[in-house]
Amino acid sequence: MSKRRFTLLPEFVTRHVLFAMAFGGVAGIGFMVFLIEFDHHTSTESFCTTCHSMEISAEAYRESSHYQPESGVRASCGDCHVSPGVFAATWDHFIGSKDLFNQIFGPDYDDPVINALHLPEAAFSAREWFRKNDSRTCRRCHAQEAIVGKRADTLAIHQEETDGKTCVDCHINLVHRKVPEQATFKREAWNRMIEKEFGLEPGKADELLAE
Amino acid sequence: MRSLIRFLPIALLLGAGSAWGAKVTLSPDNWGDPAGEECVSCHAKSSAGITKQWKDSAHAEAGVNCMDCHRAQADDPDAITHEGATIATVVSPKDCGRCHTVEEEEQRGSVHAEAVSVIAERMPAMVNNVAGAAIEAAGCAQCHGSTVKLKADGELDASTWPNSGIGRINPDGSRGSCSSCHGRHRFSKAQARAPAACVRCHSGPDSPDKEVFEASKHGMAFVAGRDDMNLDSEHWIAGKDYDAAPTCATCHMGAAGKLPATHDVGMRNAWNLNTPVSERQHLIVFGDGGKRELPESIKAPGRGSKMPKLDGSEGEVKMVATPQRRRQAMTLVCRECHGKNFAEAFMQQFDDVVELYNDKFGKPAQAIMRELYSQKKLTATPFDEPIEFTYWELWHDEGARARHGAAMASPNHAWWEGMYVVGRNFYARFLPQVREVAGESADELIARHLDDATGHEWLKAPNQRSPILGVGNAQVGNE
Repeated sequence: MSKRRFTLLPEFVTRHVLFAMAFGGVAGIGFMVFLIEFDHHTSTESFCTTCHSMEISAEAYRESSHYQPESGVRASCGDCHVSPGVFAATWDHFIGSKDLFNQIFGPDYDDPVINALHLPEAAFSAREWFRKNDSRTCRRCHAQEAIVGKRADTLAIHQEETDGKTCVDCHINLVHRKVPEQATFKREAWNRMIEKEFGLEPGKADELLAE
Repeated sequence: MRSLIRFLPIALLLGAGSAWGAKVTLSPDNWGDPAGEECVSCHAKSSAGITKQWKDSAHAEAGVNCMDCHRAQADDPDAITHEGATIATVVSPKDCGRCHTVEEEEQRGSVHAEAVSVIAERMPAMVNNVAGAAIEAAGCAQCHGSTVKLKADGELDASTWPNSGIGRINPDGSRGSCSSCHGRHRFSKAQARAPAACVRCHSGPDSPDKEVFEASKHGMAFVAGRDDMNLDSEHWIAGKDYDAAPTCATCHMGAAGKLPATHDVGMRNAWNLNTPVSERQHLIVFGDGGKRELPESIKAPGRGSKMPKLDGSEGEVKMVATPQRRRQAMTLVCRECHGKNFAEAFMQQFDDVVELYNDKFGKPAQAIMRELYSQKKLTATPFDEPIEFTYWELWHDEGARARHGAAMASPNHAWWEGMYVVGRNFYARFLPQVREVAGESADELIARHLDDATGHEWLKAPNQRSPILGVGNAQVGNE
């Protein structure tokens, strides 16, 4: 006589195995739910701006059309900066943890001057990320074939003039403080601009960057 | 007597060596940048207007595309990245001069290219006192030119751009804006030859050249004969390619007979007319192509000698055009249609008006103002006293109108809009205000300066009768 009550199951599926499977299943679902929730919460504006440095970036964002569009469809931090899909999103957060590391051990990004001085490199790296993934977070909301726009030929431009191009090749400086493209960026001029903006002595920006 | 020998240096000075403006001598290999062809397809959609203008232009016909003019090096101060290409929005005379070398050289140092420096001393009084910073971008700089700046964030500074002022100081250091007259992106010769090309700046109370020209016989003839003006012609030699009328460009820049065309627009002007007192001016041409004017009362430097340029640096004098030679060049244009005596007598009428303005109003008013300042009857701060507006308008507005009116044969502007208003200002505003400001010493001050001048004796004859003002025997009707 066998102790097995579920004779339809193969023999090796003992009660312990069943328990383990059930537990594993629930734990797996729980883990996925956790990841989804984690990705979700760590993509929100309120989470991102718990770091003061991100609050500085958010100020410009709140003036932008992505924060207050006519449609009312608001894009929050993660909608643009975290890839769609739970695995890709989790990976982005994993990679993004270097930002946390830098926030703690790197320059004092909470200082608006330091923040502004380092902003261009942050912008360049963000743009590179968009380029590499073919602006996939833009495409989360914007369907290229449906960009009609307000001007006469916006649709045609997006259909006929975009071979080999990705959104961010043309559309930069939409949300955050304006930064030139890397190829024509001039550190010298940027530093002088920041010094003027914050009332610093000429040359102070270079000192701060060197620290 | 003006001999051919005296004329020759003018031809050399004005010097393209061709009678109709220079042809581009550069090999076509230098333009038609393949990168530029990509721009066109998208810009035909994103900015259809300018793309169409370019497509209709001689540039397009010759294969000159967007990148030929807008290309930049990454380290240029105004370089930006646009759709992967490194470009500059602002196209400067230096850019145009890559192909149009002669025109660029001629306009360099011209009164047009130096339009910012000629008002540098006036700007603070106007912008800081009379108006405010906003007027500089929208007013002054739109004619004289801005100092264009690209901000470190990659945007052109809105207080300096858009701008096509003729003396614009460009990020590459060059001065001028070809598109001021040759509107972008059509760059039409015909447009620049028509009087309308000059209207944006040469109109209004202080340099009403549009109004003066329109009210002159030349302006009337232009309107009537516009269809015969051949404005699109490749060569545009007065008397040969057209004879219906002269335009601004004809007299100030155009080819006429053996006189070559020039892009130095002030070259043929013997007088400065937009000053408190006019004086005939030498034109000094430096070895590097720079130029400056020098009043006739100062002895002209010899060839090869050194003298300071407008920017303060020292230059070597390459050539001096005396006021007489400059006048002679201008008169050559007249001579394509008018006889010698006609042209010279016309110039005499013009010179007489300038001298009348100078001697009767400009010089005494200037001397009185100087004395009021030196006696501390007026503060040094400009425009904080009503008389300062009065004096400013006397020479800058009505005084300039009278002189321009006479220069270009508009009787209305020479007299009613010009010298009449000068006289009214002088007698009915300026002198009464001098009396207020100078107090007890006013009568002595005025008498001294008016006695030195000519034309004020009538003030000492209080019993002259004037039917037009209702004193004396007015006649009824026109008999």
